[in-house]
Amino acid sequence: MLAGFFPPDLSLSYLAALTVPLMQTISMAAGGMLIACLIGLPLAMFVGAQVRGARLAYGLLSGLRAIPDLTLAILCVVVVGIGPAAGMLALAIFYAAMIGKVFADLFLAADWRPIEALRSVGATRLMVAFYGLLPMTLTNLVSMGCYSFECAVRAAVIVGAVGGGGLGAELVGTINAFDYGRATTLIILLVIVVSALDSLSWLLRRHPRAVLLLIPLGLAALWANWPETLALRHAATTIGGMFPPALPLPALQALPRLLLETAFIAGAGTLLAAVLAVPLGLLAARNLVPAPVAMATRMLLEVLRAVPEVIWGLVLVTLVGVGPIAGVVALGLHSVGVLGKLYAEACENVRRAPVQALEATGARRLAVACYAILPLASAPVAIHTLFRLEWNLRAASVVGMIGAGGIGQALYNAQQLFFYDQMMAYVLITWAIVLLADALSDWTRRRLGWATVIA
Amino acid sequence: MAPAGMLEIDKVTRRFGELTAVSEATLAIPGGQMVGIIGRSGAGKSTLLRMVNRLIEPTTGRVAFDGRDITQLRGRRLHSWRASAAMIFQQFNLVPRLDVLTNVLVGRLNRIPTTRALLKLFTARERALAIGALDRLGIADLALKRADTLSGGQQQRVAIARALMQEPRILLADEPIASLDPMNAKLVMDALRDINRRDGITVLCNLHTLDTARAYCDRIVGMAQGRIVFDGAPEALDEATVRAIYGTADRALDERITSTSIGAAALPAFARA
Ligand SMILES: Nc1ncnc2c1ncn2[C@@H]1O[C@H](COP(=O)(O)OP(=O)(O)O)[C@@H](O)[C@H]1O
Ligand SMILES: [Mg+2]
Repeated sequence: MLAGFFPPDLSLSYLAALTVPLMQTISMAAGGMLIACLIGLPLAMFVGAQVRGARLAYGLLSGLRAIPDLTLAILCVVVVGIGPAAGMLALAIFYAAMIGKVFADLFLAADWRPIEALRSVGATRLMVAFYGLLPMTLTNLVSMGCYSFECAVRAAVIVGAVGGGGLGAELVGTINAFDYGRATTLIILLVIVVSALDSLSWLLRRHPRAVLLLIPLGLAALWANWPETLALRHAATTIGGMFPPALPLPALQALPRLLLETAFIAGAGTLLAAVLAVPLGLLAARNLVPAPVAMATRMLLEVLRAVPEVIWGLVLVTLVGVGPIAGVVALGLHSVGVLGKLYAEACENVRRAPVQALEATGARRLAVACYAILPLASAPVAIHTLFRLEWNLRAASVVGMIGAGGIGQALYNAQQLFFYDQMMAYVLITWAIVLLADALSDWTRRRLGWATVIA
Repeated sequence: MAPAGMLEIDKVTRRFGELTAVSEATLAIPGGQMVGIIGRSGAGKSTLLRMVNRLIEPTTGRVAFDGRDITQLRGRRLHSWRASAAMIFQQFNLVPRLDVLTNVLVGRLNRIPTTRALLKLFTARERALAIGALDRLGIADLALKRADTLSGGQQQRVAIARALMQEPRILLADEPIASLDPMNAKLVMDALRDINRRDGITVLCNLHTLDTARAYCDRIVGMAQGRIVFDGAPEALDEATVRAIYGTADRALDERITSTSIGAAALPAFARA
């Protein structure tokens, strides 16, 4: 089965055919981000200017942000139909909430004294925001904006997996057609796109004004992806069908099992990742192994990380079949990439003095690693792992949508069978899970005194 | 001085939870006076000034200007009142990433329509006014520098230029020299007095040292624990009152009231006035 994925289909005709879904994915991200900025930035300014109602708006933004992007995508597919318009709309909503929340946080953290001075001259709140909040936070806004755009392109790939168009849809298509060689091509393309994005956002951070170039790109994308027939009445009846959300008795009885399964996918996936990430992290730490070994390990980790959980999920469902095991391995593979890199950095960042003291005794490399570097790196390693667990709780609630078990699978099944009231119920449950995971990890962090966010 | 421009602070109280920051403060300040408000840290000086500009709302009491109650103003009227009661702050509070000229033009925001403000379209006349204000403070050459590259003394003068752009009736200066070295402190206090004398603008200035207040102000108001405990000419301030203002049994007292950013250097300037 695995052999079916090799060799990848690198024929020119297929590569040429891929430009369309590739452009679709990028344009979904660009168009979605443009709408997201147009909505999120004013909202953030509204919150930052602390107008009456700002607190409520902030709460809504934080709440909205907790709905996973894939869940939003499936809702949008139901409302506007399969295709890039749905994906773009989902990204627009998700990133409007994200940008609104993150920018609002930046505004709220801005020095209040110049703001107060601007208020004292009799400027309106809008002017205060424009002459105070914006210039004072501009650098951070740009770098957060770049980071969001990067995330949006990744997300644009996965929303395709539930009907949102682009590379994700193409990948689902090839897998359904047993065209595994082409699936491999798509995954390679994805890895290339993600690393190209890394360099792009590095460039943007150095030349913030280049962000403005994204505006025409976004406009073109909006024009290209605009839903051809905006069937308002259809949309309204569909949305109407989602309310009130309801689950029939058998579904209710199955719910505890689904929730446990979701928690299991998150927990086991994180565990699998952590176990694999320890040796890989050590092999990627430049202060522990020869440079070529570290480089090679890093490349491997980079590839694992570049492929989102949902895409790993699509591949694994074909390899090990529908069910939670596919979810565990999918989360595990992506998380190894993330954790391995973070563990390696934790090893590289340990204080030199204790390590040198041990080296001075003539201890061998392995002994140094075990007795000096690992104990010193254990605190950041624990923090990263906990963050990953939180992240994986979100991820576990959505990988099911492509058949990898848990609550997501129930949601997807309800959508496929047009049980929109049940689908909405699962959406709300997913939302509650994510809010709970957020609250739990906030609580743990505060209890352990880990104030700093390491994402 | 014209009798117009009377600022009346009438039994104004401000509480923060349990704490009463300003308690039943009553003052009547005719237009054109230069008033120094003194008192130890926490006495309520800043809160009092901020209530005049309405950055802080009084809990009870009333502030009136020219007979008009300004504690009830809302929306546009509140904004134009703020424009006519310009503030200057201890930390200067310029917008760090904007250039000096824009920081000064900001003082005009109340008078220009929103669309023009958001497009940063200032007229040639407004720019000329801003340059003029900077020139009056001797720093026109800094107009295109970023505000956060300036020294403290320069920043405070930019802040004064911003206040001038507001064409205010009152200037509220909250410890304007507390972060400055003696030379810059003198420059700033001289500028405030020049504005007071030449333009007839009322100046209310929080100062925590007594001799600066004595050197520059026509009238001194002493605050302690939120209350006004002295209000009169500098000469009327005797040692007992000073002790009441700054607290008793305090060995550091002498030092606090005399140590200042402006010592004897201020006297010749005073003589000129
Ligand atoms: N926003 C606020 N919230 C709570 N307490 C405040 C606030 N502003 C001032 N205070 C308190 O009010 C008192 C007077 O403060 P302030 O007016 O700043 O005094 P001063 O300027 O004379 O040093 C102080 O005890 C201060 O802690
Ligand atoms: Mg103060």
